Amino acid sequence: MKLNQLVGATAIALAFPLAVHAQGALRIAMTAADIPKTTGQPDQGFEGNRFTGIPLFDALTHWDLSSADKPSVLIPGLATSWKVDDKDKTKWTFVLRKGVKFHDGSDLKADAIVWNVEKVLRKDARHFAPDQIGVTVSRMPNLVSARRIDDYTVELTTKEPDSFLPINLTNLFIASPAHWQKKWDALGSVSDPAERAKQAWAAFAADASGSGPFKMARFTPRERVEYVKNEAYWDPKRKPRLDRVVLLPMPEASARTAALLSGQVDWIENPAPDAVPQIRQKGFSITANAQPHVWPWQFSFVEGSPWLDRRVRHAANLCVNRDELKQALGGLMEVPKGTVPPGHPWWGNPKFEIKYDLKAAQKLMSDAGFGPNKRLKVKTITSASGSGQMQPVPMNEFLQQALRACYFDVELEVIEWNALFTNWREGAKDPKARGAHATNVTFAAMDPFFAMVRFTSSKTVPPVSNNWGYFINPEFDDLIAKARGTFDDKGRDAALARLHARIVEEAPFLWVAHDVGPRAMSAKVKGVVQPKSWFIDLAPVTVQ
Amino acid sequence: MFAYAIKRTLFTLPIMLGVSLVCFALVHLAPGDPLVSVLPPDASQAIKEQMMALYGFDRPYLEQFARWLARVAQGDLGTSIRTGRPVSLEIGKAVGNTLMIAALATLIGFVLGTLFGFVAGYFRDSWLDKAASAAAVFGVSVPHYWLGMILVIIFAVQLGWLPPTGAGPGGSEAWVWDWVHVQHLILPAVTMSVIPMGIIARTVRALVAEILSQEFVAGLRAKGLSESGVFGHVVKNAAPTALAVMGIQLGYLLGGSILIETVFSWPGSGLLLNDAIFQRDLPLLQGTILVLALFFVVLNLVVDVMQTTLDPRIQRA
Amino acid sequence: MSASPAGALVRSPGYWVAVLRRFARDPVAIGAAAVVLGLILMAVFAPWLAPQDPLQGMTLKRLRPPGTEGHLLGTDELGRDMLSRLIHGARISLFMGIVPVFTALLAGAAIGIVAGYAGGWTNSLLMRTMDVFFAFPSVLLAVALAGALGPGILNSIIALTLVFVPPIARVAESVTTGVRSRDYVEAAKASGAGALTIIRKHVLGNVLGPIFVYAMSLIAVCMILASGLSFLGLGVKPPMPDWGLMLNTLRTAIYTQPLLCALPGVMIFITSISFNIMTDGLRSAMDIKA
Repeated sequence: MKLNQLVGATAIALAFPLAVHAQGALRIAMTAADIPKTTGQPDQGFEGNRFTGIPLFDALTHWDLSSADKPSVLIPGLATSWKVDDKDKTKWTFVLRKGVKFHDGSDLKADAIVWNVEKVLRKDARHFAPDQIGVTVSRMPNLVSARRIDDYTVELTTKEPDSFLPINLTNLFIASPAHWQKKWDALGSVSDPAERAKQAWAAFAADASGSGPFKMARFTPRERVEYVKNEAYWDPKRKPRLDRVVLLPMPEASARTAALLSGQVDWIENPAPDAVPQIRQKGFSITANAQPHVWPWQFSFVEGSPWLDRRVRHAANLCVNRDELKQALGGLMEVPKGTVPPGHPWWGNPKFEIKYDLKAAQKLMSDAGFGPNKRLKVKTITSASGSGQMQPVPMNEFLQQALRACYFDVELEVIEWNALFTNWREGAKDPKARGAHATNVTFAAMDPFFAMVRFTSSKTVPPVSNNWGYFINPEFDDLIAKARGTFDDKGRDAALARLHARIVEEAPFLWVAHDVGPRAMSAKVKGVVQPKSWFIDLAPVTVQ
Repeated sequence: MFAYAIKRTLFTLPIMLGVSLVCFALVHLAPGDPLVSVLPPDASQAIKEQMMALYGFDRPYLEQFARWLARVAQGDLGTSIRTGRPVSLEIGKAVGNTLMIAALATLIGFVLGTLFGFVAGYFRDSWLDKAASAAAVFGVSVPHYWLGMILVIIFAVQLGWLPPTGAGPGGSEAWVWDWVHVQHLILPAVTMSVIPMGIIARTVRALVAEILSQEFVAGLRAKGLSESGVFGHVVKNAAPTALAVMGIQLGYLLGGSILIETVFSWPGSGLLLNDAIFQRDLPLLQGTILVLALFFVVLNLVVDVMQTTLDPRIQRA
Repeated sequence: MSASPAGALVRSPGYWVAVLRRFARDPVAIGAAAVVLGLILMAVFAPWLAPQDPLQGMTLKRLRPPGTEGHLLGTDELGRDMLSRLIHGARISLFMGIVPVFTALLAGAAIGIVAGYAGGWTNSLLMRTMDVFFAFPSVLLAVALAGALGPGILNSIIALTLVFVPPIARVAESVTTGVRSRDYVEAAKASGAGALTIIRKHVLGNVLGPIFVYAMSLIAVCMILASGLSFLGLGVKPPMPDWGLMLNTLRTAIYTQPLLCALPGVMIFITSISFNIMTDGLRSAMDIKA
């Protein structure tokens, strides 16, 4: 080896310690401010599920993340099959996959499923975890209990018949009870059982054990978490190729971009749109795909709201040139046609088409009694940042300008993200809504409850759930009941399609954009498939 | 002297109590839901009420404050709502990390500041004074977070000399004092040092000019004391105040690191504070503010007592 | 710390004339004062000076570099004219630098004078309360307050005011305490003059000068602090053309349009350095051996 080569090699070795830069190591900068929880129930929204849920754990049911073209549908996970009881529609049996082991070597059997349900639903359980209730129970609102039938069969019970349960269960990640027990046993000196359980969970989070394709190797709170591959993963199609994955929380878009451009990480989530040309020019690639996500204005239907008139709601939907917005966002959004896109099983061919048609919009406004000299004042609340909010302020300012052409005078009030979030359940009548006629909280549209039901049912008005604007219509209640009570997949989807079509026609939203989950990565990263989903499978990825 | 230290310490106690009350009040005054970090917005009201009770947020404020204070007095800052980890552990680590850049920044600021200050004060109204004073006024006038962004672009992205973010390839827990890690300190510490540099330079310039204008310096010179002797005299007289300013600056940097740490993703107390604010993790938020404020109080106390010891001219009641 | 204005002596009107005369002979300070005056004029006459509406933009013409036709300094992330936004930005940025200091000046002077004049229990109560707030590093206090109150101009003003009240109150208190023990005040008291009269006649004149100069030196600090809050998302809310906020919203374009993104920072820098140089000049002009 020549001297200069030796010097070069030494310099490289110094700059990148081997532990991190071993063959097949992938370093990802996330947008979260902290590592999402690793207890099995990630927080930080779906970014948590994406990075500390799916890679480390399995759930009874999974999303198919193997295709970039087809809609991401529900597939078997730890459960190989499931069905609802013919007589009592609140009882479901799930048949478990055999031979699955947790990372700590213990077997994954029916007891483990029961244990993971009881950690949030049975207050007297030793491992009861209050901080996990929120993210778990709210995503499977009807689940009440679990019971072991035999080692490989488990029975789940819901409050009322609910055909959405298998979809909800993609969010119940199964953590290892045996591993948790070891953490508990090590804390013999702590006398208060609640305190001991809390500490055992904290210890589990720092050294988690699931059954997913990756195993946790190292955990540095707030800074990084490292995974290594699980050679013994049960699904041959998802055997990981990467030796190591490093995840770094990096909430600042410009810091993430700098980290990518300077070679500190190989992959960043959500690069700043304005940096995209520069990122491309430097030889990095950008991937994006439509996500089941909606960036809306959710209208208020309380007395005095200008949106009570359907013509006004339609006018707003026709007044926005979304292609121009897309261009402004560097192409990093999808133009919406509804809550779900055409071609989706729940699409349902609505009669109202969401598009840009200024003339039609102005005419609708004239019919409703407004014009250049009689402008309509509306107020919208939004936030300056927040999970899934994309670029809330520039986008809202764009809407403010666009709607001017249709005689709207839009007042925007930017409030703190958490306050906006909290008000989403407090509703439009609450003083904290500040008299706004619309709110701008974005949402995921993967699960029928979260995509549609909670915004249109009379049972989900504040403070129960997110029907912020009190959209109440008996017709919708009937459609929802029908969908919930139809247990064959086709029938359920058809009922949901009817519900979706009616939602688009009644327009309780101004649909503005779907997020496309942009990520930028180095040319060394290969094998990335970005599905039409919030999630992504790290298993097939390699780094050269 | 010893009596003075004791007296000063006793005076500090009510201030500490007041500080903790302000911390608690600030954090609980804020609008929004204290459980937002563990409770998604789509959670039902029933779950929310159940959890408010589990965490004790349904109790009267006075009771919550008393309980918190009692535990703080025993050194227990509670556990973070979001992560379940002990707050004291989180803060300890973060403050340690911030101390690394803050101490380095103070050192850089002190060295450059005293250099500029001495030069400016010694050669008052010369072009050297103008240049050094300009550097000092630059330090106190530049928005340092903006300077940090510019330094990242130049030295990390364009030139590729220094890493832009973080605390090294293995995070702060794998920190060792080698070049791979130390290079991560440079940009944040340099950015952070501009303010203490400016302030120390201005203070030292004023001190030096004042000491030099005193009559006895002229007297010393007249008596034939060499210039180096005069210099030594100036240093001896300026040092206590300059060191005191340096100490206080360290406290300001430690408490005000949020902007720099946000720009550089440095895992310190500022980033922790930022997280705690935006995630509304109340135990973490009030703990972080409290620890940083108390650190500042104690630092002031120490500086004050030391200054009195070093500088017998200062008479204190 | 550095020369405290608390040591001010009783000053005649002639003193201030001398100070101004000395100040006028310092070319750098005069230059800085001219820049400050220019910025203030720019803020006052912003609507007439700005070539375009600072809130209206064409999204299609966004992020144009300086020198683009029709946009001398380019356009921002929403296609709004940068020059117009920078001119209008002087309004909010100066406002955010001056108003909190001014309110803090009023409140701090009132607290300090009352505490200093009354002495005893009142003094202890007021000044120990001030000490509690003074025990926080300023950035920490501002961030904690703004974090608690939430973003917005009014909340930022409240937060920043609270940051500056204690130091001003301390200066006012020490000057007042000094003045109170003077013979002529004792004499006035003995002759039965009311507290208000004594404060107006003997205390205010001595106190306001020093704390005014001190407050001037806080304006640059306050402006940088306010822009920092906006940068963190805890300050002024969009679409207000505030320089700190512009830095925040333009930050993501820093790789493609570095010059454009640097502009608001340059404005903040020019303003704060001018204020600092001007105050320095004023201070050294006041440094006359009586």
